Amino acid sequence: MKLAVVGKGGSGKTTTAAVVARTLARHGTSVVALDCDSNPNLGISLGVGDDETERLIAMRQALDEGEQEHAPGWDDLLDRFGTDAPDGVRLAVVTAIQNPEPGCP
Amino acid sequence: MLSSVNFTHDTVIADLEAGLGTLTRLGNAQVDVVLLVVEATTKSLEVAARGADLAREKSLGRLIVIANRVRDEVDADAVRKAFPDDEVIAVPHDPAIVEADRHGVAALDAAPDAPAVRAISAMARNLLVMAGHNGSGAASV
Repeated sequence: MKLAVVGKGGSGKTTTAAVVARTLARHGTSVVALDCDSNPNLGISLGVGDDETERLIAMRQALDEGEQEHAPGWDDLLDRFGTDAPDGVRLAVVTAIQNPEPGCP
Repeated sequence: MLSSVNFTHDTVIADLEAGLGTLTRLGNAQVDVVLLVVEATTKSLEVAARGADLAREKSLGRLIVIANRVRDEVDADAVRKAFPDDEVIAVPHDPAIVEADRHGVAALDAAPDAPAVRAISAMARNLLVMAGHNGSGAASV
């Protein structure tokens, strides 16, 4: 199942995404959470903390600036550039990893 | 991108950029569920109405309108009225969420029983029913 969480800035989109991701994970589903926002803070709402969220963003920026090679596949990307959030959710900040435009696709 | 993601996980949830930019660029049927988060304000409802149109035009699966930070029935009704043909879930205004944000922690950890957290969790569990999840980790993708 693929879900997209959409809304105006400040509408509570990220909190909603985080609660949904962890609830699904608690019920035995394996969940990948992708932070596609140009102001990525899904990590904070998922509960990985400021420092880890910053680390993910820094890795993403290194990718954007060509200092770091892209991962060859999606699971590799998660292994190398993701982090484990509570309840087994795997989080990655993906803005601009696959596309220079802000946003996901 | 969402069209090409192919993880070995059951579920992928993407927190898209604020506004409708990503939704505009999504191809047809690239996701199964769109959670459209909206507040009962004119601006938010306008953005959400365009988002709902895009989701329908692009056949993006099940559309769930989340009426967020609802303070009273007037708020809830404003959202229901704007989306008369859609599934609308009301999530109450909840100081516990504001407090969790202030401290940079997850609402689910800081206030698991807060009304807003419970409302969102209940909606998420309902999604599992839709996905035919049987509790063994074998949800359909």
